[in-house]
Amino acid sequence: MTTNDSPQSVVIVGGGVAGISAARELRRLGYDGDLTIVDAGAAPYDRPPLSKDYLLGTKTMPDIHLAPAKWFADQNVTLVTTTRVERIEPDAGQVLLSDASVLHADAIILATGGTPRPLPVPGGDLPAVHVLRSAEDADRLRAALTPGTRLLVIGAGLIGAETASTALHLGASVTLVDPMSVPLLPAVGPEVAAFLHAQHPERGITTIHGSVTGIAQESQTSPLVATLATGDTIEADLVLAGIGITADTALAEAAGLDIDNGVIVDYSQRTSHPRVFAAGDSSRRRGPDGVLSRRAEHWDAAEGTGRAAAAGVLGREPVTEISSWFWTDRHGIHVEGVGDMSPSGTTVLRGTLGDGPATVFRLDGDRVVGAVSIDDSNAIRAARRMIDGRISVTAEDLSNPEHNLRSLLRSTASKG
Amino acid sequence: MTTGIKIAEVGDVDDGEGIRIDKAATGTEDDIALFSAAGRYYALNDTCTHEKASLADGWVEDGAVECPLHVGKFCLRTGEVLSMPANESTVAHRVEVQGEDIILYPGETPSEETE
Repeated sequence: MTTNDSPQSVVIVGGGVAGISAARELRRLGYDGDLTIVDAGAAPYDRPPLSKDYLLGTKTMPDIHLAPAKWFADQNVTLVTTTRVERIEPDAGQVLLSDASVLHADAIILATGGTPRPLPVPGGDLPAVHVLRSAEDADRLRAALTPGTRLLVIGAGLIGAETASTALHLGASVTLVDPMSVPLLPAVGPEVAAFLHAQHPERGITTIHGSVTGIAQESQTSPLVATLATGDTIEADLVLAGIGITADTALAEAAGLDIDNGVIVDYSQRTSHPRVFAAGDSSRRRGPDGVLSRRAEHWDAAEGTGRAAAAGVLGREPVTEISSWFWTDRHGIHVEGVGDMSPSGTTVLRGTLGDGPATVFRLDGDRVVGAVSIDDSNAIRAARRMIDGRISVTAEDLSNPEHNLRSLLRSTASKG
Repeated sequence: MTTGIKIAEVGDVDDGEGIRIDKAATGTEDDIALFSAAGRYYALNDTCTHEKASLADGWVEDGAVECPLHVGKFCLRTGEVLSMPANESTVAHRVEVQGEDIILYPGETPSEETE
């Protein structure tokens, strides 16, 4: 296929948010050719609940399906879950499966996601050291978490903090270790990071600023002993390592595509091979200036790049760029962030942290560049539109909770 | 035809906003989210089909409401689910403006001309 021909067959490798989003968007844009999603295991499901409601047991697998079974039939999407992709042959337009069957593909979308980074210390591979990425991981962790279980969580990022909160609910006794004194600083800025981290000890979690250098276990029935860099030790029944993921780039690499800590793509999610696109956690954008972006690992980025890949496959205009957005739920609060909280600039607080809905905005001059909210998602939706629309605001507009941000946006839009 | 129920008056809902009306007042299976958008009124079951969140608190834009918890989006007119992570549509009810009153017809599918 040349880039101008419309494809008659598309194979999506991976049934996470990026893969399903790409499939939905292909059909929405009117693509009516063959469409196959290959992902061995369960029907496609949503991962964010795995550290929260699914782990807690208040949601089950059908609750977290990304699309009901009927959707696949209605949309004429073939879902292959009984085998995996062994190799892609972009020049031949073929996807080779482990069961020796071959799928024809005018276009291939790689949405292969990532794998939890293993704990790089002695004992990091003991059976009682868990990771959390898949439903199977969550099932294993849930089975091991009984009231009174001593859980050591290594890494206080989103997965670590959410799992610590859920485990506490399940009656576990939780210790949370992170090498940063205040984790999540680049993502949420100092004010919210300090507030969020302080929640853990308030709820009864022991927080330790430090690094685990090794984990030992005398016998399979004896407790784990984790040693810190200071020489102190922590006894635990279970460990959860939440120290990030590595991008699954093996298929792309074997096919000779450009890789650099992710499958390199342009703004239409096209890889270095014209027939192959990549989306989600495993993809990494290279701008027209040649500069590589940071690999985004959030749900929203996976959804957006999935849609962009669909548009790319069909030769449509790239999806409009919108500022990055994420959420996290822990200790009964809902946190959202948008844009960039890392640069310097003016900080504006709306509300009071720890007392009802509150939002911290980061301004560069009269422009919002980032915002993080506690239980105030509409402030983030407004902030996202302010960032993307480059709308000029004043600190007073934002800080007064009596000012309706939606009305502010509307009045600015009508002026503009 | 069901009997209409007065659920609000013109002016109770600002344009681009929603209000929640308790099911005790409407007799519906769920609370009702009443929205005003571009001069029309829309009513949906209030609870997001994805998680326990009130759609009346959601973000209204381009004929859709976005759940305040995640980005599940629903068509204001039909209740159709437009965006993940929600995977199930919600229920839309017909509403009508009669004089100053906003009347809900529970369970009746809204027509194209819904006010």
